[in-house]
Amino acid sequence: MEACIAVEREVDKVLNKFSSIKDHASQTLQDVTSLIDSLKKILDECPENHEMTPNQVTIVNQAMAKAKETVGRLATEHRELHSTVSKVGKAIDRNFVSDFASTSREDVFSSPDKVMLLNRIICQHFYRQGSLDIADQLAEEAGLDCESGKEPFAELNEILESLKQKNLDPALEWAQKHRTALEKQNSSLEFKLHQLRFIGLIEKGTRCQNAAIAYARAHLSKFVHTHEKDIQMLMGMLLYLATGVSRSPYAHLVQPSLWADILDTFTKDACTLLGLSVESPLSICINAGSIALPALLNIKQVMQQRQVSGIWNGKDELPIEIDVGDEKRFHSIFACPILKQQSTDNNPPMRLVCGHVISRDALNKLAQANKLKCPYCPQEQNPADARIIHF
Amino acid sequence: MADIKALEHPTLKVPYEILNKKFRAAQKQLDREVSHVQSAALEVERGLGTERCSAADINKLLGGMVEKLQVLKRKAEESICEELQAGYVCKRRLEHLKEHTSQSQWCRKRLDRMLVEYFLRRGYYAAAQKLAQSSGLEDLTNIDVFLVSKEVERSLMSRETSKCLAWCHDNRSKLRKLHSTMEFNLRIQEFVELVKADRRLEAVKHARKYFSTFEEGQLISIQHCMALLAFPVTTELSPYKELLEEERWGRLVEQFRQENYKLFQLATQSVFTVALQAGLSALKTPYPFKTSESNFGSESKNKSCPVCQDWFNILAEPLPFAHCSHSRLICHISGLPLNEHNQPMVLPNSRVYGQQSLQAMADENYGNVVCPRTQEVYSYSKAEKVYVM
Repeated sequence: MEACIAVEREVDKVLNKFSSIKDHASQTLQDVTSLIDSLKKILDECPENHEMTPNQVTIVNQAMAKAKETVGRLATEHRELHSTVSKVGKAIDRNFVSDFASTSREDVFSSPDKVMLLNRIICQHFYRQGSLDIADQLAEEAGLDCESGKEPFAELNEILESLKQKNLDPALEWAQKHRTALEKQNSSLEFKLHQLRFIGLIEKGTRCQNAAIAYARAHLSKFVHTHEKDIQMLMGMLLYLATGVSRSPYAHLVQPSLWADILDTFTKDACTLLGLSVESPLSICINAGSIALPALLNIKQVMQQRQVSGIWNGKDELPIEIDVGDEKRFHSIFACPILKQQSTDNNPPMRLVCGHVISRDALNKLAQANKLKCPYCPQEQNPADARIIHF
Repeated sequence: MADIKALEHPTLKVPYEILNKKFRAAQKQLDREVSHVQSAALEVERGLGTERCSAADINKLLGGMVEKLQVLKRKAEESICEELQAGYVCKRRLEHLKEHTSQSQWCRKRLDRMLVEYFLRRGYYAAAQKLAQSSGLEDLTNIDVFLVSKEVERSLMSRETSKCLAWCHDNRSKLRKLHSTMEFNLRIQEFVELVKADRRLEAVKHARKYFSTFEEGQLISIQHCMALLAFPVTTELSPYKELLEEERWGRLVEQFRQENYKLFQLATQSVFTVALQAGLSALKTPYPFKTSESNFGSESKNKSCPVCQDWFNILAEPLPFAHCSHSRLICHISGLPLNEHNQPMVLPNSRVYGQQSLQAMADENYGNVVCPRTQEVYSYSKAEKVYVM
């Protein structure tokens, strides 16, 4: 945040100075123009063939000197703003990383087949999001044949489309059709759809209050076990019907963001139901990347300062551990507690008789003849009794 | 906030470069108009200096001066307005960045912004515009910059140099600072085209006009060009054959793209590919990459894991693995972490699962558990605890 604020400070200075120079310029130029205009008017009134009196000459001369000085100063003042402008650029360079690509390899995604693959991935990402037009446009421009990618998303997209037009019917119908399956995965989709419809009635004001209450009785009551708090809030909105909900403590319930939210909820729940990955894999990767990249850039800088940059060639393994968060952990990774290495096919995790797990390489190192003492407990055992396990 | 620092440099730097460019243009404009006003004032003074000057003459001169002043006023207002607008673009982007949260809406917008830029770089202009419009990103992406380059690229593809030359002229001082050879290469191409059309005399005139002013280091290219005059267009001789190739136009397009990036301080790689690489690496574990002979590869696939999906798997193939010095275990059934609250348990077929999942399965199944990987059925009591340090 400080980075943004530092740059914003400079940008504000630029905006201020330009605004004031703008006003100043029109004012002073206006003054000079009217001065000369007034001189003209005097001269206009002179009889024909009138010669300039010495007095008039002096006045006009003075006016000219003033005009020259004013416009000259204007140009200079504007030029002096350059330092203010260039400070913005410097603030950006100081606070943001310009060589953010330094940890990546340029060749990885640039070959034609990789470009094609990446485009397919992006296309599918948009099909999943329901942005058919963008995906189709991309497919056309990149020369892809993406018809096959549409299939699982076709019905969902239609529903999403009507949701975008604030039509809840197809989504509600779908949610009711799949109610049991949705309940199994703890989905609150149906409730959220009803909630939106209820809020829609509330927003119409007092003339629809009876309809709103009737709707709540008919459709909300069955969710009372799972959404008690939410229903209380919804009913609380009724208090403010006359004065306007948007100026009440419930204002957050009439924000347009609720509609964006329902789109997300529907996509997620439907994907889970259909056995697709819940989130777009592309978003997962990019979000993980935005967590990983700052750490990688930092370590790169440190390595360069210590002049050990050659150690990391960017091919085998990242130099540091990156915590992308629990929800982005998809596989068990076993790292041998003795050797501090990830297990591999050649060095699998072994469970000792006592239940402790170490890697096979570590086991071989610790074993002496037919005896092995577990490094974590007093038990002595035969190394041959250890078993490979699969997490 | 670290991700903003790492990823958003181009988001701010490009509008800054535009602001800077607008400032220079405005300064030039002002200087020109100011000097017009000043010379008009000088004329008035000169008129006053002559003896017996008539009021009518002076009046006329003053009239001219007022006109010049009005032009200056109009131009000054226009240029400063443009500068202000460029400034407001910076401000708007900063405001968007300040809204940064890790919430999905903001992150999706970021992904859309990255994709717009990626599309633009790849030349998928219509898709980029559509995406920007539908996500309301017109102000937050650098579409305008790329639309200018789209025009230039298109004209280069249709074998025209004029638009690109105009672009070179527009950005002359900056290009010189970058030691750009864009204009030189365009002039060479024009020369080659004249030779191809067998208008060799015109080619010589062209060479006289443009090649005489170029810098050292370019002499060899000029010599090649001049020697080309001696060869037929069907020559198989290097380097003349290369000079005559049609592909040179494609290379000019590529050079133009690169120089345009440099001009706006854009990196050679898009933020999208950089972030994708880092993300794939951070998510990449040895598991989805196990060889087929070990047959646990397909077993350990996880449908939510991006790197397990075919297309991503191919993309991630050349990238480094995530580093891991401490075990991070999750239950294969529930995806929940394995720890002291959810003990890992091994079945007789040596597959490990979380205690919670196995317990739940056993409760529903009269004390039996089914290994989801091998479909073998065991009594829950056969599961043994595993201790991972």
